Amino acid sequence: MSSKPSLSNEFVKGLWENNPIFKQVLGTCPTLAVTVSAINGIAMALATTFVLVFSSLIVSLVRKLIPTQVRIASYILIIATFVTIVDLVMKAQFPELSKSLGPYIPLIVVNCIILGRQEAFASKNSPFRSVIDALGMGSGFLLALFVLGSLREIFGSGTILGLQVMPNFYEPWLIMILPAGAFLTLGLLMGLSNFYVTHKKKIEKENIIQEYLKIKAT
Amino acid sequence: MKLVIHMLATLTLIGIISGALLSEVSNWAEPKIIANRKAETERAIFVVQQDAKSYKKIDSTDFELFEVFDANNNSLGYALPYEGNGFQGKIRIIVGLNKNINNLLGLEVLEQLETPGLGAKVAETAFTKQFKNLLLTPEIVAVKGVTPSNPNEIEAITGATISSKAIVRIINDGIKRLKAIQKSGEQN
Amino acid sequence: MELFIIFFSAAVVNNFVLTYFLGICPFIGVSNKISSAFSMGLATTFVMTITAIVTWLIYHLILVEFHLEFLEYVSFILVIASLVQFVEMFIKKISQPLYRALGIFLPLITTNCAILGLALFIVLKDYSFIEGIFYGVGAGAGFTLAITIMAGIREELDIADVPKPFQGAPITLIIAGILALAFMGFSGMISG
Repeated sequence: MSSKPSLSNEFVKGLWENNPIFKQVLGTCPTLAVTVSAINGIAMALATTFVLVFSSLIVSLVRKLIPTQVRIASYILIIATFVTIVDLVMKAQFPELSKSLGPYIPLIVVNCIILGRQEAFASKNSPFRSVIDALGMGSGFLLALFVLGSLREIFGSGTILGLQVMPNFYEPWLIMILPAGAFLTLGLLMGLSNFYVTHKKKIEKENIIQEYLKIKAT
Repeated sequence: MKLVIHMLATLTLIGIISGALLSEVSNWAEPKIIANRKAETERAIFVVQQDAKSYKKIDSTDFELFEVFDANNNSLGYALPYEGNGFQGKIRIIVGLNKNINNLLGLEVLEQLETPGLGAKVAETAFTKQFKNLLLTPEIVAVKGVTPSNPNEIEAITGATISSKAIVRIINDGIKRLKAIQKSGEQN
Repeated sequence: MELFIIFFSAAVVNNFVLTYFLGICPFIGVSNKISSAFSMGLATTFVMTITAIVTWLIYHLILVEFHLEFLEYVSFILVIASLVQFVEMFIKKISQPLYRALGIFLPLITTNCAILGLALFIVLKDYSFIEGIFYGVGAGAGFTLAITIMAGIREELDIADVPKPFQGAPITLIIAGILALAFMGFSGMISG
C-alpha cells in the first residue's frame, strides 16, 4: 500500500476482514467464558473496548518516550491500570453485571487482542488513528461476542436478552450454556465463516473468468 | 548505562502515575461497593424474613449476624449471612432463622460462581423455596432423586448435587456456629 | 486429603482449559505435536507453581498489609511478566538442553491467561499458602493433560479428511468441546 488507508477503512477492517475472534483467533478465553447470555457478551465487549481504546490512546501518545526494551512491560502496566479502573467502576455502578462476569474482568489484562493492538498498531500510529483502530477492533469483538452470546442464550435458555423467544414446549439444550457448548458453537461459527469466505472468493473468481470469456467471445 | 536509567525511569513513572490514579478511583469506588453490598444484604434480610420490618446488626459475634423485628418491635429471630466453598468457588448465602434456631424461614443465595445452567440453579427460587419452613433438628439433609419425606430434607438439583449439598453444608455450618455462641452466651 | 482434593479438582474436575477457558491461545496454537505440547505444559506448570507462591506472598504480605488491594492486577501481571523473564534466564544458565526444549515457549506464557487466572483464583478462593501451591501444581498438571491429549488427537487428525473450512482452529475448538463433555464425567468424583 502506497498511502495510508482511509480512516473509515481503519475502523471497518476490525469488523470483518480482521475480526479479532473469527479471523485472528485472539482473545478466545473471555469469548468462550462469558457468552452464556447475550447481555454478558455485550458487557464484556464494552469493558474490553473501553480498555482497548484508552490503552491505545495512551500508548500512542507516549510511543516515542518508551524505550523498546521495556515497551511490553509498559503496555501491560497501562492496560492493567485501565482494567482495574473498569473493574472498580463496574463493582460500584453495576454490581449485578460485575458479579456475573466474575473473575473474567481482570483477565482482560491478558486478552491478547489488547496487547496485540498496542504492539501492532498503537505503537506505530498517531493517537487519533489508534483510537479509530481500537474502536473498530472493539466493535468486531462486540459483534462476535453478541452473536455467540445470542446463539447460546437462544438455544441454551430459550431467551434473548432475557426475553423469551422460543415457544413454551421448547426444551432448552443444556449443553449450549455448558463449557462444551461454547467450544462447539465457536468452532462451528468459525468454520462457517471460513466456508462463506472461500465460497465468496470462488464466485468472484468464476465471475472474472466468465467476464473474460465474454470479452474474448465478442 | 543511560539506557538503563531511561528504562527504569519510564517504568517507575508509569508505575507512579498508575498507582496514584488507581488510588483515586479506588477511594471513589470503595464506599459505593460497600453500600451496594449493604443494600443487597438488606434486601435479602427482608426476603428471608418476610414478616420483618426492621433489623439490627449484632456486634458481639465475630461473624455477621442480624436480629430482625416485626412492626411492633418484637424479635422474630435472626438473619445469618454465611459463606463456604461450592463446586467452583465461594458461595455466600443468607438464611432467616426463628428465635429458637430450630426452624429455617428462608434462604437467599447472595454470591456464587457455580456452572451456569447446572450448579448456578441453586440461586433460583425453584431451589431456594424448598428451604422455607425447614426443620433444623438434627440438621438439614439433601436427598437425591426422591421427593423429600422428612421436614428436615430438601431435594438436590439433578446434575448439580455437589452445589446443592454445598449449600446445605454451608447452612448447617453457619447454624452450628451460631448455636455454639448462643450456648456459651447462656452460660455466662 | 484436603490438599489432594484441591490438586485433583484443579487438574481434572475443574480443568483450567476445559471448564474455565483459561489458556486457550496456547491450547490452540501449540497443540500440533505431542512433544511440543508436553514441553509447553511442563513450562506452564513450572511457571504456575512459582506464580502461586510469589503472588500469594505479595498479596498477603504486602497488598493486604498496606491496604493496597486495588493494585492487585497491576502487581500480579508485573510479577508474572518478570517471573517469566527470570525463569527464562535461569534455565538458560543451568541447563542448555532444558532451555532448548522450553525456551521458545516461555515468552508466550506471559500472555497465557491461565497464569494470571491462577493468581486471581487463589485470592478469590481464599486459599492458604500450602493450598495455593497445590492448586497451582494441579492447575499446571491439568493444563499439561489437556494440551497433550489435544495434541495426540490432532496428530491423528492429520490423516483424517477434515472439510477445508474447518481445518485448523475450528476443528480444534469442536474437539475441545467434546473433550469438555468427557471431562464433565469427572465432576461426580469429588463431593464437596
